Parts: sequence; structure tokens; C-alpha cells
Amino acid sequence: MTHEHDSPNPLAAHFEALKARAPEPDAALMARIVADADREQAVHVAPPPRPSRSGLLAGLVNALGGWPAMAGLATAAVAGVWIGAAPPDGLTAMAQQMMGGDTATLMIDVDLESAFILAEGAS
Amino acid sequence: MPFDDQSEIPDSALLTLYANGDGTAARTLTARLAPRVLAHAQRLLGNLAEAEEVTQEAMLRLWRIAPDWRSDEATPRTWLYRVTANLCTDRLRRRGRAEPLDAVPEPVDGAAGPADSLQDRTRAEALQAALGQLPERQRQAVVLRHLEELANPEIAEIMGVSVEAVESLVARGKRALAADLSARRNELGYTDDTRT
Repeated sequence: MTHEHDSPNPLAAHFEALKARAPEPDAALMARIVADADREQAVHVAPPPRPSRSGLLAGLVNALGGWPAMAGLATAAVAGVWIGAAPPDGLTAMAQQMMGGDTATLMIDVDLESAFILAEGAS
Repeated sequence: MPFDDQSEIPDSALLTLYANGDGTAARTLTARLAPRVLAHAQRLLGNLAEAEEVTQEAMLRLWRIAPDWRSDEATPRTWLYRVTANLCTDRLRRRGRAEPLDAVPEPVDGAAGPADSLQDRTRAEALQAALGQLPERQRQAVVLRHLEELANPEIAEIMGVSVEAVESLVARGKRALAADLSARRNELGYTDDTRT
């Protein structure tokens, strides 16, 4: 950028002489400044998240909500296997009622009067 | 400049990169801005050792403000000039003018260029000494205008005054410098052969 110099300007030669002798920062000063910058950056800037080293498994775990969620899923899976292998008494009948099965088929054959009596409690 | 490998990126963007963890942005900014800060501090203080301390402190403040930097407020360069001037003012006030600037040894300590001559050195040292006799605001305005070669609107932003006030400070400062240098010419016995 240039600026106008008044002409004649008795100061111009002095300004030019002083500008030509501008100090240059030496290597030690530059190194101190950069060291300050690195130190402040380490303090104020959070480090970027480290990439997972476990790859697909860790990604799947994170997608499902982390290890606490995985523990809940594992418990549910074990309980499901247990109930499937040794169902409690009455569970089969209840499941048939809920899913629709032989019981529903039998109800179709009941005549309207009997159905009314059943609905009223048949006391 | 050995560090400046991001030459196309504006200072503000570099500061944002630095705040986001970029490892090279600080080096580029240092290469760009530290020489300006050092020169400005040296011209305001007239002492290279103090100017180096001010430069490190001003740059440290820049690093610390980086996470909160708002690019719509000022450029890092303008901000640094302002901080540098404030740091120099603090030092000058602590100095209490007990030690006039023209009594400080090595008032001009820059690298001598190929065209450097004894007369240029004498002129430079005379101007540095005369700057030390100016009131602080006049000195700052003259240095920013005629040595840093900034435009008046940027100087006004740095100094927090109107452009008209800058013009007034520069004009008064130059008048005082001319009178001081005229007296020094007579005292030192050198001639200014470039005067027209």
C-alpha cells in the first residue's frame, strides 16, 4: 500500500530510512511465539475423537447405544431362549389365545344364545 | 517466509483453523503478523528487547482469543495493532518517562539493507528519537500512517477514533517531528540532501 507524500516533504527521507531498518523477528522469538500457540491450542482445543480400533464390532455397539444397551439386549436374549426351552405352565394356552388358535375356532361353533350366556358369566 | 504455506487463506480464517486444532495455521499467522507487530512495537517503544516481549505477549493474546474470535468485528491484524499499542502504552507509563526514548540505547536496530548508508542510519535514528518525544497518540498515528503505511480508516479503527481525528493527530505529529528533526539536523550537523 502506498500513501501520498507531501512534496516537498522534509520528513520523507527520514520515514524511508526508518522503514528500511525495520527489525525482523529472529528465529528464537518466532519459536517462542509458536510454542505459545501450540501450548494454548492444547489447552483450549479439545482433541479430535480417536478413531475406533475395533472397527465393525465397535461401530455396531455404538449404533445400538453402547455397552449398557448391549447388556440389556443380552439379558433379553437369554430370557427369550430360557422361556422357549422351558415355558412356564399356562403360557402355551395364553399364547394360543393371544395369537388365535383352536380356542377361537371352537368359539365360532358356539350358537348365539350360548355365546350370550358365556359373555354374561354363565353363573 | 518459511512457515507460510497457506498463503491464500485470510488471517481470520487461519485463526479459526487454529482454534479448530489445525497444526500449521499458527505458524502461518506468526510468519505473517509477528514481523508487523515487532516493527510497530519497536517504533513505539524505541527498544528492541522490550518490543520482542510485547510481540510475544500480543501474539499470546491472539492465541487465547482465538476460540472466541468473531470475524465480523475486526481483522487479526487490526486487533493486533490495537493490542500492541495498548501494551506499549502500559510499558511507557510504567517507564514514567523517567527514561526519555532518545536516551534508550540502540533506538534503531533493524537489519541494514544494501542501500543503507551512514546518513540513512543517522536519519533513522533521528526520526526514532523524535518519535519518542511525541505524545503517545500522535506517535501511534504517525507510525501507523507513515511507517506501517495503513489507510486512515484502518488507523481510526485501531485507535478507536474518527478518521478526522486521525488526520489531525498525524498532521500535528508531523509538524512536531519536522521541528524536532530540524533542530537535530543543526545539532548533529548532517544535511538532508534529499530535500527538495
